[in-house]
Amino acid sequence: MPRQVLEDTLTADSIAADSALAASGDATAFERLYRTHVARVHTLVRRMLDADEADDVTQDVFIRAWQKLSTFRGESAFGTWLHRLAVNVVLARRKSVGIERGRFINEDAPLEGVKSKPVTPELSMDFEEALASLPEGARQVFVLHDVEGYRHEEIARMLGVVPGTSKSQLHHARMALRRHLDR
Amino acid sequence: MNDQWTNRLSEYIDGELDSTERASLEAHLATCGQCFATLGELRQVVAQAKSLEDREPAKDLWAGIRAGMAPARGAGRQTVRPSGRRFSFSVPQLLAASIALVLLSGGGAWLALQSRQSIEPTPIGESPQRPRVGQLVTWTGHTDAAIADLQTALTQNEKRLDTATVRIVRVNLAIIDRAIADARIALQKDPGNAYLNLHLANTMRRKVELLRRVNDMAAARS
Repeated sequence: MPRQVLEDTLTADSIAADSALAASGDATAFERLYRTHVARVHTLVRRMLDADEADDVTQDVFIRAWQKLSTFRGESAFGTWLHRLAVNVVLARRKSVGIERGRFINEDAPLEGVKSKPVTPELSMDFEEALASLPEGARQVFVLHDVEGYRHEEIARMLGVVPGTSKSQLHHARMALRRHLDR
Repeated sequence: MNDQWTNRLSEYIDGELDSTERASLEAHLATCGQCFATLGELRQVVAQAKSLEDREPAKDLWAGIRAGMAPARGAGRQTVRPSGRRFSFSVPQLLAASIALVLLSGGGAWLALQSRQSIEPTPIGESPQRPRVGQLVTWTGHTDAAIADLQTALTQNEKRLDTATVRIVRVNLAIIDRAIADARIALQKDPGNAYLNLHLANTMRRKVELLRRVNDMAAARS
């Protein structure tokens, strides 16, 4: 077995074992799961919400994961289950802070919301910063579709919009971001 | 730059245009340099999105998470659960947990016997219900009784489970029993070893957890 495949297999087995131990109440196993997955969850949250919310929401995701581990039946990978939980927490947060759907479907907003790439290198905005400067609706569609790989139908269901709106937001986000490509 | 085709470029990239639209757009791209250039840039955006890397948070968030975990799943873990509780341990999970347990058991006992010293486990992440050294005799006695009761119940409940599940549960119980036996043997050589005492108690606690879950699963299928 190639070394990388073996390591991946051992890692997957280790995560499966830790998720089972954590489900039985083993906090130490859960801490190992946290350390394995925190970068992925934190990055997702940071991209979907404002950066200053990322720490709090990430903590919320893991606390909810601990509370809901009894519903994790091992039918998918723990990371997949956790990732979906994180998306749900982010979307719930989005609703709780009162983001109105009217703002979300404003198709002109993304292009107006992103500054043009400055010409001086020291002031240049990298791709992540440009992504963060997108209006929230366009940013969330872009992250879910282009970064996380969800389909428009899934995104539309999660965000409570029609698939056409998701497609439109994605296109506007891409058009805005093309000015900030790392070349 | 904005013609009737500009807003369709993302759909083109994502393969969401029908064959007629796709053919029309490709004909347009052959004559419109701006759209052709924009298409290339949009493809780069898509590629760059896929290459973004995850970053660790600037500070360790574990302490806050650990504090938030305590109220939901803490001291009540050793108490009797509602009989209707949903069973949540899949067979692969049980197997994975037991394998991990054996590995931890073997490694931990080896380390303890090598050092022949009292070792306190790192407190970070310690389960709230983890027994203290001074309570071990009483705690272990209660657990022996609880295990006996649960095993009696399991003997009666096994017929409600399918054969494959019963077989895997038995294998896992045998693994845990072996870990318990190893710990007891090690303790005979070094009765005062705090780590071994804690390890035995925690292994027995895990056996209780497993038996409870299997009995819950059997009850749910009755």
